[in-house]
Amino acid sequence: MIDRKTDIIRANIKIIGFGNIYMSDDGIGIHVIKELEKLQYFEDFELIDGGTSGIDLIFHLQNSNKVILIDAVDAGQDIGEIILINPDDVKEFITGKGKSYSLHSFDLSEVLKLTKKLGLNKKLTIIGVKPENIGFGQSLSPVIKKKIHHIIAVIKKEIGSWHQEKK
Amino acid sequence: MADNINVEISPLSRVEGHGDLVLNVKDKKIERLIFRIPESPRFFEAMLVGKNWDKPSHITSRICGICSVAHTYASIRATENALDVVPNDMILKLRKLIFHHEIVQSNVLHVYFLAAPDFLGVGSVIPLVETHPEVVNIALRLKKMANDMVRIIGGRAVHPIRTVVGGFTKLPSEEEMYQMKDMLNSAYADLEASIAVFKILELPAFERETEYISLSNKQDYAHYDGNIKSTDGWEIDPGDYLDRIKEKVVEHSTAKHCWANRDAFMVGAISRFNNNYDQLSDKAKEYAEELGLKAPCYNTYMNNIAQFVEVVHSVDDSIKLIDKLLEEGMDESKAMVEIKPKAGRGVGAVEAPRGLLIHDYTYDSDGKIKKANLIIPTGMNYGNMEADMNAIVPDIIERSEDEIRLACEMMIRAYDPCISCSTHFLNVKLINK
Repeated sequence: MIDRKTDIIRANIKIIGFGNIYMSDDGIGIHVIKELEKLQYFEDFELIDGGTSGIDLIFHLQNSNKVILIDAVDAGQDIGEIILINPDDVKEFITGKGKSYSLHSFDLSEVLKLTKKLGLNKKLTIIGVKPENIGFGQSLSPVIKKKIHHIIAVIKKEIGSWHQEKK
Repeated sequence: MADNINVEISPLSRVEGHGDLVLNVKDKKIERLIFRIPESPRFFEAMLVGKNWDKPSHITSRICGICSVAHTYASIRATENALDVVPNDMILKLRKLIFHHEIVQSNVLHVYFLAAPDFLGVGSVIPLVETHPEVVNIALRLKKMANDMVRIIGGRAVHPIRTVVGGFTKLPSEEEMYQMKDMLNSAYADLEASIAVFKILELPAFERETEYISLSNKQDYAHYDGNIKSTDGWEIDPGDYLDRIKEKVVEHSTAKHCWANRDAFMVGAISRFNNNYDQLSDKAKEYAEELGLKAPCYNTYMNNIAQFVEVVHSVDDSIKLIDKLLEEGMDESKAMVEIKPKAGRGVGAVEAPRGLLIHDYTYDSDGKIKKANLIIPTGMNYGNMEADMNAIVPDIIERSEDEIRLACEMMIRAYDPCISCSTHFLNVKLINK
């Protein structure tokens, strides 16, 4: 009988939060990771505070069976609405006009285009919530803060679905 | 070409109608040329006020996902200088080791993913996956190696957590030190292969001599510490930076422009190369020569090649540092030195991948920040970027608007500017939505 811990380690699922905790709701991914770190359910999972270095997503995808990414996402939904995105469902990653001028504008949209091109996107699920405020600030808007527990429920459900598919 | 052209480039993709480069040509003469970036660390300066001495390095590490080690150390060094904390030699060597790998992480991505696609004529890294897969694979392997180095020493590949005021909360094990050495040795094949890639890149033959400013010291190719040195012949202790580096308000920009001996100066890889060529490793010098990079170099586009040469140096020097640390022994009991809060001012100057970065803190007697001033490299480069574009545009004024636009874009990119990494909010359109 394989214990739960071994099962989790073998499954090799990574849960990553991206964003900046000092840019209000942009930091939702990091706030969720901090909450997961407190929960016994997630103690054997690899939880990653990815900060604002989106390019590293490629290495996490290369070295795992499944990546669940939490970030602030605008897919046309309402503020605070949580959305589950499979990269195949994305028609366009919007980077605005022009090309990247620096690594600093080589953002997650560019990285996701690259993961698609490298054939790594099948392992990825994005859990996004539409932010209310992404200006300078150390705390989440109340409407976004309230969603943390919903996001955690979605993460658990996603892990369950992945295990079901593998059976 | 038309006699009149109007070029507007907006690197800040989410700020509509905000031309960050504006170029108007009338009757084949530049009428207006403005470069401006609204990004500013002022919010972080305000946030630091009142914070205890152990907090600023973790806060400022979040200013940037690409320069997080540089901000961490500019901050730690400012605090240590204010509190008279003197780290021991083992701590210094380990700090220099982790610092090398932020330079590698950043320089590799910039050169291979942002600059090379221009010169290879494919526009961006996405088509590069099909046209030049070897370039993408080399970049990813080198970036992964540097990430692993930062993670092993700093506890995380970005925004390191073990690097603190006074030293390290945990040291890498001896086994990890050997593991890092193996990783570094395996990088040489990719560096060698890169030479062939960079040799075929045709960089514009543009030259404009300016004042080049960087850190410099007698011991090594300065990234972590040193005096502030200028190719115009002056050298100062970083604590005296306000005596030499001045700011001025310019009519067209909300950001102040910096100047020292002349109207503008340049910071970044090429400034480090020009000031500290002698300190480079033999292999880095050899690669520089093979790629036509000689000190002093006045071609801004060659900043890309200088960044690659620095990667070679960082790999070489890292192996030396690991050998010395293993020889001298890694003693966990010496990982931290004692800290006593006191009132005082401290300046921390380091070389971020894109140039000189300064944190200047004043502490009260309880060890809380009273005042903070952060000077970022891109802010120092504004004036020089404008001067470079003012110099290149008349030379290419007969070309098409698209060609002029591309030359200006490549010029901005050569500086590897810090534009806006503070948010990574994702914007997508879904199928059937």
